[in-house]
Amino acid sequence: MSTKNTDVLIVGSGIAGMQAALDIGDSGLNAVIVEKSPSIGGKMISLSKVFPTLDCASCITTPKMAASSHHPRVDIYTYTEVKEIKKVSDGFEAVIIKKPRFVIESECISCKKCEEVCPVYVKDEFEYGLGVKKAISIPFTNAIPQFPVLDESKCIRCGACARVCPKDCIDYLQKPEEINIKSKAVIISTGYEITPMDAKKEYNGTKLPNVISSLQAERLLAPHGPYGKFLRPSDGKIPDSIAYVQCAGSRDESIGIPYCSRVCCMYAIKQAMLLSGMLPLSEITIYYMDIRAFGKGYEQFYNQARAMGINFVKAKVAKITEDEEHNPILRIDRQEDGSKPQEVKHDIVVLSQGLVPSTKNFFGLELEINEYGFINQPQKTLSPAKTNIEGVFVAGVASGPKDIPDTIMEAGSAAVEVINYVKSVKVGS
Amino acid sequence: MSKPKILIITTNHSSYPGANAVGQARLSYGSNTYIIRVPDPVMFPEDFYIRAFEKGIAGIIIMSSGSDCPYEGAYERLSKRIQNVYNIMKQKNININRLKLTTICTVCKEAFLKEISDMEKVVQNVN
Amino acid sequence: MEENKIYEKEHTINENYRQKPKVAVYVCHCGGNISDVVDVKKVAEELSKYHDVAISREYAFMCSSTGQDYIVEDIQKNGINRVVIAACSPALHELTFRGALQRAGLNPYLYEHVNIREQVSWVHKNDKEGATKKAISLVKAGVEKVLRQDPLNSIRVEAVKTVAVIGGGVSGMRAALSVAKNGLNAVIIEKSDKLGGKLNRSGNVYPTGEKAISVAENLSKEVLSSDKIKVYFNSEITFVSGYVGNFQINVKRKNGEYEKIKAGAIIIATGFDNYKPYEGEYGYGLNKFVLTLPEFIEALEKSGPGKFNYNGKDINSVSFIHCVGSRQIDGIDKPGKNGKINEYCSRVCCTSLINTANNLKTKYPDVEVFDIYTDIRTYGMDHESYYKEASKNDVIFFRRPLEERPSVEFDGAKIKIKTKDVLTMNEDMEIETDMVVLGVGMVPNDITDLVEYMKLPKSSDGFLQEVHPKLRPVEVANNGIFIAGTAQGPMDILESLQASNTAAVKAAALLASGDIPLDPFVAVVDEDKCTGCEKCPKECSYSGALTMIEKEVNGKKKKVAYVNAALCKGCGACAAVCEPRAINVAGWSLDQFDAMVEAIAKE
Repeated sequence: MSTKNTDVLIVGSGIAGMQAALDIGDSGLNAVIVEKSPSIGGKMISLSKVFPTLDCASCITTPKMAASSHHPRVDIYTYTEVKEIKKVSDGFEAVIIKKPRFVIESECISCKKCEEVCPVYVKDEFEYGLGVKKAISIPFTNAIPQFPVLDESKCIRCGACARVCPKDCIDYLQKPEEINIKSKAVIISTGYEITPMDAKKEYNGTKLPNVISSLQAERLLAPHGPYGKFLRPSDGKIPDSIAYVQCAGSRDESIGIPYCSRVCCMYAIKQAMLLSGMLPLSEITIYYMDIRAFGKGYEQFYNQARAMGINFVKAKVAKITEDEEHNPILRIDRQEDGSKPQEVKHDIVVLSQGLVPSTKNFFGLELEINEYGFINQPQKTLSPAKTNIEGVFVAGVASGPKDIPDTIMEAGSAAVEVINYVKSVKVGS
Repeated sequence: MSKPKILIITTNHSSYPGANAVGQARLSYGSNTYIIRVPDPVMFPEDFYIRAFEKGIAGIIIMSSGSDCPYEGAYERLSKRIQNVYNIMKQKNININRLKLTTICTVCKEAFLKEISDMEKVVQNVN
Repeated sequence: MEENKIYEKEHTINENYRQKPKVAVYVCHCGGNISDVVDVKKVAEELSKYHDVAISREYAFMCSSTGQDYIVEDIQKNGINRVVIAACSPALHELTFRGALQRAGLNPYLYEHVNIREQVSWVHKNDKEGATKKAISLVKAGVEKVLRQDPLNSIRVEAVKTVAVIGGGVSGMRAALSVAKNGLNAVIIEKSDKLGGKLNRSGNVYPTGEKAISVAENLSKEVLSSDKIKVYFNSEITFVSGYVGNFQINVKRKNGEYEKIKAGAIIIATGFDNYKPYEGEYGYGLNKFVLTLPEFIEALEKSGPGKFNYNGKDINSVSFIHCVGSRQIDGIDKPGKNGKINEYCSRVCCTSLINTANNLKTKYPDVEVFDIYTDIRTYGMDHESYYKEASKNDVIFFRRPLEERPSVEFDGAKIKIKTKDVLTMNEDMEIETDMVVLGVGMVPNDITDLVEYMKLPKSSDGFLQEVHPKLRPVEVANNGIFIAGTAQGPMDILESLQASNTAAVKAAALLASGDIPLDPFVAVVDEDKCTGCEKCPKECSYSGALTMIEKEVNGKKKKVAYVNAALCKGCGACAAVCEPRAINVAGWSLDQFDAMVEAIAKE
């Protein structure tokens, strides 16, 4: 087993992990990022545009991805799981497992020939199941690194990719590789998942084809999305009437998630604005409890959306069903004009899901988490990035939901604390 | 006689990567297109475009970074400058549709192709 | 003013480039990715006939070590002094090949990368002939460009390893501490006689419940005991000059003495001010029982046990009004002195109001509490529980429509609030109350002078404007100046701490090595050609980057354009207006592009 020494081990390469790595590297220390997916970039790289500037998300993320991957003091292991992290006398020892791509990375020239000839189509996770890709493929257009991954469970071993590869780098027998990482400190930036589609049974999120997740909606709206258009999944129809259900997975005791997820109001407003640009004739309604447009420029963004004619309706959505043509039917309780429940039909419904931690298992580290699984910050008013374990820091949504600007701030904060910590232990040793 | 040539001016920041994304997706367009990249097209004086037309370039598409432009005030300056170029083109009797200022992002593949096909229509009649 | 040195760090080892140009062209097959479409042999052959090309080869994988060895060998043995490689996108291997040039002892910028994969073979699959022709033209253009390329060296500016922090509130203290722990010196410039800023007044901090004043004390103890931090109390900034690595801040002390502080970077932590309601706004100033939230927090803290007594009156009911001075709407709310409304949300007031309402209920459970809002924005991880607790505490909520405002009226000793309430089907409600608390928002502190001295950009809400909320969230356009905390916009204490740490890490990284590397792609002036016409500085967006100076050129005094490489961003706006082409962005000159277009246009 090979061993790699570094100053800081960063788990997770979303915007938080990348930003922390860049700040650490720029300050003269070394960092290793471990990412379980085949590409760095996290959730942000899959988004369409981002609020409140409406920059294309990929245009903001790709430079950070490129900078991380080219940084002389940042090493990245993608498609790699963390098996365990142990605190030892002089820092931390981690064991990571590099999963086989079945492609010899040092030889691959990212030409996609294997992908072109592969006869097997599989669901594309990057498109959140909306599109398909080949069983051997580069994960997405601007993935870093640009190496294909062979889906072992779907591959039929036809050998087409191996035959066409100009560098002869398909290796069906590639084995997982264990690597030891020794570091002085650790940053946990493991991010989030959105609340599951079936979290709220009444919404039938997994049963109704035209009730989609907010991340699927992001892909439909992205300039490089799966269909290149905003179509509804059941019949490919361009929707005339689109509804957003806010707090579908937040502020809801009944599903065990009483907290506010902070981003859903804003991403719904953003998606609504993009949709209204894309489908000017469509009607877009946002059902909400409170609009939480609290960040810099957010209230102005909300006002802009209202001015564009997006309907904001103060109502709780009690239930979602559908008619025989798969048109979703919402049962709503309006706060304004009458308290009688109503039924409203839309062509497609987007659930504005909340954020939940992506993992509650921290590789053997006994991190204190709150009752929802987010990492506690015991010294909030003194050193906000610190966790209960000396030398372990947290950045981004792993400590609680937050938007991209706040995540980037936290990543910088974690970076300075980790740098100063590493400097102090280095002096001490 | 070869096809009329289209010069595409891209930016390091957004449209050059955007052109790469078109290639990565294996989409296709005409080979009469020539992409050059710059930090920002604001560096070109009015006569740069005129000279290019005089040298035989049939159409020019400036793919700027628009609101994603990393340089302060550059986009405003650029659009003003292009207005000047249009005025000169009118004086010189050059069809102003042969020059187009647009914005292309790093993943705007469809928009990239559309700009080229629009310009193809314009330059078909140029000679 | 004495200036720190801006100097070039030489890359050049080999002086070959001064001799007659000898260009090597390499065409990569990319294992069929290029060569299946582009006739690479023909490209190499055509180029071997082109002027100034000494070597023209094609090879299966230029990026492989064998491919790179060709380049090194040709430079070292065959006197090649400029290189063009036609291969994949420069995003993948431009740096790889520059590295090869450097290993061979050639300046790495005497290199041109031509993309014939992503932008030729992959997009012209069905037009092999056209693709080949296009590739030939593009490589020729590449040769033209590299022939006009000067070697570039990285520019470095010596930096003072001190960070000046303006403002000694929670943000300034946190930033200074993080900078100091990083090994740099920090100077805090504070206008009052005390550290802690607004924290010296307010009650408890959510969501930790700590006393604000103890948070301030914890930080200030650390600051004052650090031997790397110097605090200037009672100090006023009278001028700021210089640039990244090399700022000078003139400070006037209380005793009237002036002092000059040198700093490599500046962190602005000037904080916020509370919105001050105008007289009569919700009755403020007309009745002593209408208070702003900070005033109420103080009153509540001072009041004794038993009954809540304020100003001689027993208080049995308190009404909180949200969004005073925030989320204002044109035509509904009265503009402030600057003629503008505050459209923004102040972010902290909802939680702060509700936290205070809960504190009130805990201290005086019998006091009735009303809360008039339009959206409750308790967004933080633990904030929602305050909202829930308030409901449990029997706080009575009224939800006004977004565009309606409650009115506060006085009837003798009585205070009446009238509001529409969405929760009861838009009914008009009347609340009788003993006290009104206005949830005032945050407004920017008046830092007009600093804005002027440092040419700081402001956003439409009047707070300081970062370059980009995601790419460069704590930097302003001027290199070396950072923002920490609420000078940038409303934030709570924890968010301010995080933001300040971020400002600290950027400043620390900038000054880490003692000299700051700058991009070589900045404007350069050919002083022989410069006519001193003064057109170019007018085009420049970056203050101080491009100026006119008097200088002796070839024994004659003349006025020429001067570029401060530390301030120039290399956009090239100046180049466009220079008729004699005396100013250009290094590596991207107009002569290069003219020649490229020429090569492309030619058959």
